[in-house]
Amino acid sequence: MTRHDPALLSAALLGAERALNQAILLAPTSHRELEALSGTLLGIEVTSLELTLYVELVPGAEVRLLNHCEEKPTAFVRGSIEDFTALIASDDPAATLINSGIELQGSSASLIHLQQVIAGMDIDWEAPLVERLGDVMGHQIAEALRSVFSWSEGARKSLKRQLSEYLLEEGRLTPPKLELEHFFEGVQTLSMQVERAQAKVERLMAKAASRRTQ
Amino acid sequence: MNDDAVGSNNPDDSTDFGFSRVDRTAKASMVREVFDSVASRYDLMNDLMSGGIHRLWKRFTIELSAARAGQTILDIAGGTGDLAAKFSRLVGPDGRVILADINAAMLEVGRDRLIDKGATGNIDIVQADAQALPFEDDSIDCITIAFGLRNVTDKATALRSMLRVLRPGGRLLVLEFSKPTSPLLAKIYDQYSFQVLPVMGKLIAQDSDSYRYLAESIRKHPDQDTLLGLMEEAGFVNGSYHNMTGGIVAVHRGFKA
Repeated sequence: MTRHDPALLSAALLGAERALNQAILLAPTSHRELEALSGTLLGIEVTSLELTLYVELVPGAEVRLLNHCEEKPTAFVRGSIEDFTALIASDDPAATLINSGIELQGSSASLIHLQQVIAGMDIDWEAPLVERLGDVMGHQIAEALRSVFSWSEGARKSLKRQLSEYLLEEGRLTPPKLELEHFFEGVQTLSMQVERAQAKVERLMAKAASRRTQ
Repeated sequence: MNDDAVGSNNPDDSTDFGFSRVDRTAKASMVREVFDSVASRYDLMNDLMSGGIHRLWKRFTIELSAARAGQTILDIAGGTGDLAAKFSRLVGPDGRVILADINAAMLEVGRDRLIDKGATGNIDIVQADAQALPFEDDSIDCITIAFGLRNVTDKATALRSMLRVLRPGGRLLVLEFSKPTSPLLAKIYDQYSFQVLPVMGKLIAQDSDSYRYLAESIRKHPDQDTLLGLMEEAGFVNGSYHNMTGGIVAVHRGFKA
């Protein structure tokens, strides 16, 4: 339970729920994938907002957003708003989940699957626009919207790639991912070797001590 | 706390009807007259009076019910059936929803609405007095009473009757107008209730007196802690309440041990 007024929170959740369900109806692929996830209950605690809410996937590929739930969630995640924003936008949700400050209880597979479905939602704007505005006008506006989304998606990816290249190549501010992974492997191997050596030393010392007592 | 709160212990055998005192035996029929008058436009008036917020209050109440497939839910004073329709989906074909109200006119509107929404098959409609529920002991998983308890003559008797029919572990949810937590909000709310509400009632339902009664009955209803005490006295355990919209409305929850 949160400290927020339940009516206010219900208003926000109701609006988000309606928008989400409308978007799912306009994205046939996601609709099928969500149907397969039916029965999943996800608990989300946003620590920075002192807010807990639940996402339930019900038959018919509908999403219910709840303020209060007494069922045991399939997965329960706790983190800041920044952590969740990064997770939703992530291309590699498993890595983001491990490396971010998000705490997870329960099944990570259902959470990752859900994130992938949401991130991959391809909404067909044309159908509702054509229905309301007619074939010609609806198609034109849908084309314009597609161009805007396509351009902004391209710009986002390009910015991300260029930023990454600058940090790695030009600024040498962060090491490349492979180099970092190689370094971590080296650290892990060294750590294991040290542990083995320590165990060997302890065994030899114990043996020496027992000889002295004899 | 008003006289209703102590139920049948009231020595002068009168009770509140809004700000008036009436004979205890007369209150039920007077309340019935009020709801006969407003039944056909009850939902529309609720939407206008609350700006649609009553739907959010009810949504949270449904979440607190934790209703599951196969359960039996009793919605007392369920009138026009908006909670019953939602419970019908949640309990599914193996569950059962009982829509109960003392007022036949409200039940008729509720029945028609439920049929229009296609919510049939697992809903029973029963005309019943909350003080003497015509159901077996330990037969109900969850009881809700939304904006109905304040109209009941003897609240203590009604709460004991609800406890009797609940299964052990079952819960009661009372959604009702309550006392605003901020003095400023209380003043604004008073102005709205006694100046705006009767005018709206006159314009939309052609009945300002009934809506004046609704506003008065809200003021005479026990506040949050008093109602919680009444529920505990009736035998409910683990009682708690949540204020909504600054305490204008509160939802109380109690369990049968």
